[in-house]
Amino acid sequence: MKTAFCFDVDGTLTTTEILPCIASELGVSDEIATLTRATMDGHIEFEPSFRLRCLILGQVAPDLVRSIVSNIPLDPAIFSFISANQSDCFLVTGNLDIWVQPIAEKCGCHLYASQGDYENGKLALGKVLNKATAITKIRAQGYDRVVAVGDGANDVPMLAAADVSIAFGGVHRPVPPAVSSSDYIIHEGAALCRLLKAL
Amino acid sequence: MQVVESAVIAAAGLGSRIGLGMPKCMIEIDGVTILTRLLNAIRPHVATIHLVVGYREDMVIEYCSMHHRDVVLVRNPDYRSTNTAYSFAKGAEHLKGKVVYIDGDLLITPSSLAGFLAAAKSEDILVGVTDAKSENAVYVESEPEGDAVRISGFTRKVPGQFEWANIVSGPSDLLHNASGYVYERLEEHLPLKGYALDLAEVDTAEDLNAAIKFARQGG
Repeated sequence: MKTAFCFDVDGTLTTTEILPCIASELGVSDEIATLTRATMDGHIEFEPSFRLRCLILGQVAPDLVRSIVSNIPLDPAIFSFISANQSDCFLVTGNLDIWVQPIAEKCGCHLYASQGDYENGKLALGKVLNKATAITKIRAQGYDRVVAVGDGANDVPMLAAADVSIAFGGVHRPVPPAVSSSDYIIHEGAALCRLLKAL
Repeated sequence: MQVVESAVIAAAGLGSRIGLGMPKCMIEIDGVTILTRLLNAIRPHVATIHLVVGYREDMVIEYCSMHHRDVVLVRNPDYRSTNTAYSFAKGAEHLKGKVVYIDGDLLITPSSLAGFLAAAKSEDILVGVTDAKSENAVYVESEPEGDAVRISGFTRKVPGQFEWANIVSGPSDLLHNASGYVYERLEEHLPLKGYALDLAEVDTAEDLNAAIKFARQGG
């Protein structure tokens, strides 16, 4: 059975949220972290919140963003699983493609992300990713089964669309709708990867 | 010889006979939950633990996020209309090799569990039995065989020395598509080897009193 493994990035693969790290360059890390948390918990719609955060974080120079993101710590067990199964692993993130690219490069796997680009030094936000649509596209690549791992409110459509869904609480508690859309709840990267290997 | 690699613990049920408003595995005895006691006893022996949750799953998930992060929680949202056999099958889905299936309301002496798992290596299926003591016991029809027993049947009608203890080791598909009780699936494989365990089960308020005494004596 050909299986695709789809991972949320922020707070699932990474052991810290990415946007607050970028925001620390502007001295608004706590503010962005609060907004990120409220969004992940589902109190604010993902897309408008993300657009607002991008508007603020677009002020940070692209090279600096790249260097910050390159240094974001990754869960060692998940990173090792992805590295060993690169062709069947997909990072599925609402975060911007140009920002999370260093992580996808490090993992050597596929990336489905929101789209953005810098035009004359100014960040232009394109299409924001719908994670359920991403799962449909991934499945259409000839996979018999899709496994999804996530923790936030914007992961719920992905977890609901997958064949095997896992709410991951390695960094923070998965939000209740993510739990109720999942088959499994796992709090540790090593335990998660033992299950993924058994699937 | 095949060692038991994984444990599936069923903790999804309502525990309606004791009616404490929480899953029975969350009952504390001297400040330690039944779940923690069970996990501490099983953890040294297996690589993977799957805990099936249903009734008040939020409570068990929260507890495991704080105290047992290595445990994989398997959801059984149909816990109201399904039984332990279904939870066992759900918990064992995707596991490979030999599995020990344990009801989540059991207090088992760690040395007794270690003995069971050692004996389980040489049996395709090893059935846990215990001295008959519970109200609605499923008795085993058995004869002594070395340091174990040979089980020829299960009955609710004729009391015997031992009862079915709600712990069994076997392949990961042992309970696949089981519609009845766990022991009814085991009946399909008779005769089977049984191993007598030192344990207490918490089904009623009276059981809980006995379990507290059992725990204080080292269970």
